[in-house]
Amino acid sequence: MRQRDHLVRSAAIIVQIGGIANRLFLVAVVTGLAATWLVPGFFNGLLAEANAAVDVSDALFGTRLLMMIGIVMAIVIDRMLVSMSAVISSAANGDPFVPDNARRIRAIGWALLTLQLLDIPCALLARFWPSLGSAAPSGDVSLGGWAATLMVFVLARVFTAGSVMREDLAGTV
Amino acid sequence: MAIIVHLDRALARRRMSLTDLSQAVDITLANLSILKTGKAKAVRFSTLEAICAVLGCQPGDILSYQPDDEPG
Repeated sequence: MRQRDHLVRSAAIIVQIGGIANRLFLVAVVTGLAATWLVPGFFNGLLAEANAAVDVSDALFGTRLLMMIGIVMAIVIDRMLVSMSAVISSAANGDPFVPDNARRIRAIGWALLTLQLLDIPCALLARFWPSLGSAAPSGDVSLGGWAATLMVFVLARVFTAGSVMREDLAGTV
Repeated sequence: MAIIVHLDRALARRRMSLTDLSQAVDITLANLSILKTGKAKAVRFSTLEAICAVLGCQPGDILSYQPDDEPG
């Protein structure tokens, strides 16, 4: 039991650190995206410096798209970590089989599905924006990611059934 | 609720308090209170057996079925 408490506590800390890092990343990307319009000369210079032969305006447009995908990812990950944190804290309190957790795990599933689907614009960027060079995302299909998404949706169903059973047990004398 | 609990009647017949029954059957007073007030969703056979053994009665002395009134 103590080992399980340790695991839950560790998971809570990791999720908290992940959440803070993700929000910092979000602020950085939003700032960066705004800066591409406020100080385009700076970015043009950076892109030209990285590759003199590159079409700078094309690469800048691609960079903006990449940042927008990054913003969507960070927002989705934030929602996912908030749900995860709530599930972990209910587990720490010793009562994880509640209807709220089934809803939270389903929300995590939708977040994972969104992240998987964001591979599509990433793949399109990698395919049609060669000017991004090494900055282009891989856009590979992650079989593990899809399996994890499916598992999370199944887990949400398990939690729905579990919370109903838990409710029944609470009324059993 | 169509199932009516008559635990208070069975207790009165034996001149026993809920606290005494709780100690005799080793079930918490809170759980017995839930049963007595008809708020329980289910009763374990082991609970019913223990109560019947202590009160010297049949399950039918504690529980009865009364159909809900038809609407309209």
